[in-house]
Amino acid sequence: MKLAVLLFPGLLWGQWPTYNGDYTGRRFSDLDQINQSNIDLLKVEWIYRIQGIGAQRGVGAPTIKSTPLMVDGVLYFTIPDHVFAVNAHSGEQIWQYDYEDHGGHLVGQRGVGLYGNWLYFLTPDGWFISLNAKDGKERWRQKVADEKLQYFTTMAPLVVKNHVLVGVSGDAMDVRGYLEARDPETGNLQWKWWSEPERPGDAGAETWPNQAAMDHGGGMTWLTGTYDPELNLLYWGTGNANPVFAGQSRKGANLYTASIVALNADTGKLVWYFQASPHDTHDWDNVETPVLFDAVIDGNPRKLLAQGARAGWFFLLDRTNGTNLVSKPFSGTGNWAEGVDAKGQPIPDPEKEPKVDGSMIDMPAMGATNWPPPSYDPQTELFYLNGTEGYGMAYLYDTSPHPEGYGGGSGGIFDSRSALFAIDVRTGAIRWKHEHISGPGESGGMSGGVLTTAGHLLFTGDTGKLVAFDPASGKILWHQSMLSSVSNGPSTWMLDGKQYLTIGAGDTLYAFTLARLH
Amino acid sequence: MLWLFALAQALGQEPGSRRDVREFLGLGPAPDAAAAKKGDPLYGQNCSACHGVNARGAQGPSLVRSAVVLHDENDAEIGRVIRDGRPQGGMPAFPNLSKDDIHNLAQYLKLQIELAANRGTYNKTYGDLRNKVTGDAKKGEAFFAANCTQCHSATGDLAKIGAKFRQAAQLQSRFLWPAEKGPAQATVTTASGEMIRGTVRKMDDFEVSLTDSTGAYRWWPRDRVRVDTEDKLAGHRALLPKYSNADIHNLTAYLVTLR
Repeated sequence: MKLAVLLFPGLLWGQWPTYNGDYTGRRFSDLDQINQSNIDLLKVEWIYRIQGIGAQRGVGAPTIKSTPLMVDGVLYFTIPDHVFAVNAHSGEQIWQYDYEDHGGHLVGQRGVGLYGNWLYFLTPDGWFISLNAKDGKERWRQKVADEKLQYFTTMAPLVVKNHVLVGVSGDAMDVRGYLEARDPETGNLQWKWWSEPERPGDAGAETWPNQAAMDHGGGMTWLTGTYDPELNLLYWGTGNANPVFAGQSRKGANLYTASIVALNADTGKLVWYFQASPHDTHDWDNVETPVLFDAVIDGNPRKLLAQGARAGWFFLLDRTNGTNLVSKPFSGTGNWAEGVDAKGQPIPDPEKEPKVDGSMIDMPAMGATNWPPPSYDPQTELFYLNGTEGYGMAYLYDTSPHPEGYGGGSGGIFDSRSALFAIDVRTGAIRWKHEHISGPGESGGMSGGVLTTAGHLLFTGDTGKLVAFDPASGKILWHQSMLSSVSNGPSTWMLDGKQYLTIGAGDTLYAFTLARLH
Repeated sequence: MLWLFALAQALGQEPGSRRDVREFLGLGPAPDAAAAKKGDPLYGQNCSACHGVNARGAQGPSLVRSAVVLHDENDAEIGRVIRDGRPQGGMPAFPNLSKDDIHNLAQYLKLQIELAANRGTYNKTYGDLRNKVTGDAKKGEAFFAANCTQCHSATGDLAKIGAKFRQAAQLQSRFLWPAEKGPAQATVTTASGEMIRGTVRKMDDFEVSLTDSTGAYRWWPRDRVRVDTEDKLAGHRALLPKYSNADIHNLTAYLVTLR
């Protein structure tokens, strides 16, 4: 049964077998037991709190950023170095797997992949580990990334057919990104796609000045992508180019960094690409989920892909071939770009690149959005994401012809406003926007990812609260105080006739159900 | 992936210290600065012709991103390559370098790695650069006169402002968005028309609480009252969409002269 779930994740209703729940990345659930008419009856069913782990190196208290998988009544979720299996009915821990890292970054851990009885987990120091889902015992481990080169791994592996897709993070030390397919039984490498052309003369190499610049690379594949089984295409976002802020040694568009790439799932060969931030000099990882859905555009049914990019733009593409249908800024005016090219890709304005004495754009320094999952609701045909508006500066530090490392930095998040955006996919226009309210000087904002459901509900976090919105209007329908702000993507599943809603907030996982069903 | 430190800056904190960032990045032990200093001339004499300035590579490979250097913990691997050379790769042997020389060279290389990869070092390394001013103070003064003097005065509240910041970049961030952390004043108007002014304790979509002028704690559901907060930053907010980079740099160049 578990294998069937993974081969056809959309068919077996009510479980949550992958990071995004299914291959589309929509984070829309068909479940409607919890709906607008009974949302007032939503209550905490159980609470699971991570205990005995303490502060994690360099990041502090444990924080659940993973989306738990729920298969056959068991939840599987993670924080860096640890995997937990919990009874989905009760919140009772079944087992815990503890790993001792030898380096790497503990900035986040997004969860596990599942294939049959086997779980797949990535460690801060680049180990790819298979566990037995029954008892959490380690089956084998394979090294997939060198933490001494400042690679680290945080993503939830994605299982597609007999491939486990594994991506990497890391931009402190100017290395190339890659995505690997590995054998679910042995962990052995099946194929490897590099984020940059390997040699001068290869396709895309014309967007780099030389081999050394390509080797500095970037384009980390650090968030779980999506998959279309009919087209057999994987859709993956790639991170910023390196050196992060110093672009003088890598003049050109720097393919395939800061892009969405479509790869053949069996060979890893590039089929098409769309570059969201050509020649990126602002640390705009373009890893935000490429969300797949079908809709009628100008009277024609289309297979589509939408992304709300960290660069502050909303993109709608035809996912069969990458043809651009919409490119529109959602945060600010997109004034880092002079417009879009013939492919719909923003054209970066050289005047807005980092400067020694600073260069300002109408987007906050850390970008307009980040990894927290967005959602597409087919009932409203709106795309939802938590984002930020404001102004930011980018500085160039390393002015040498051969910069290394970040080579600069961002400074200032001016007049910053956090909001939940509801975007019309056909035009990119903002249909409604919920701006987080706070007292001047108070910290906080929209938090975590977005989930929509057939119950005409949208769930996300707003500072220390979990909030249900009407996805059509943005009206707040329900809220619940939490001990910490929502820190993961909300998820929902059905167990023994009851719909559950699961939320990670700090070191605690909450499950909600209706107080009564009739 | 800078978000952690961007966030720290947004919250008004200094970027992480060198040690904190090294721990976060998992960079291992700090390089020995004294040994690295001794290694500097040795690198210049023996290595830089092939491995380039700051070990970033020339016709020889970069040693800043070298797996041999990065994995070396006790000079063993680095020492072996230096003493034996890599004849197949065209690197000569350096049999005359002593054990101390090799240690000092290894620490020099580790320092080059530290300076590139540990962004917690940037503020120190590039401190002078961040104090660099390229704008035109005269034009900045004109911009100030046209846009800022409704609220500010170069001889009043901003007298000597140029002396208050260690780096021009810090002064620049400050005038662009001088947000203060901490409590703000607000006026709550209830349904009955009562107006209560006080210091905000908490405010979100659902509730507002404040300490009123008598020192009492007051609380309301957000949807039952009107809340007006004073916006001290209105002038700064209005300028943000208007600035060109040149306006910003000119204004900085002017303000640093107020000493």
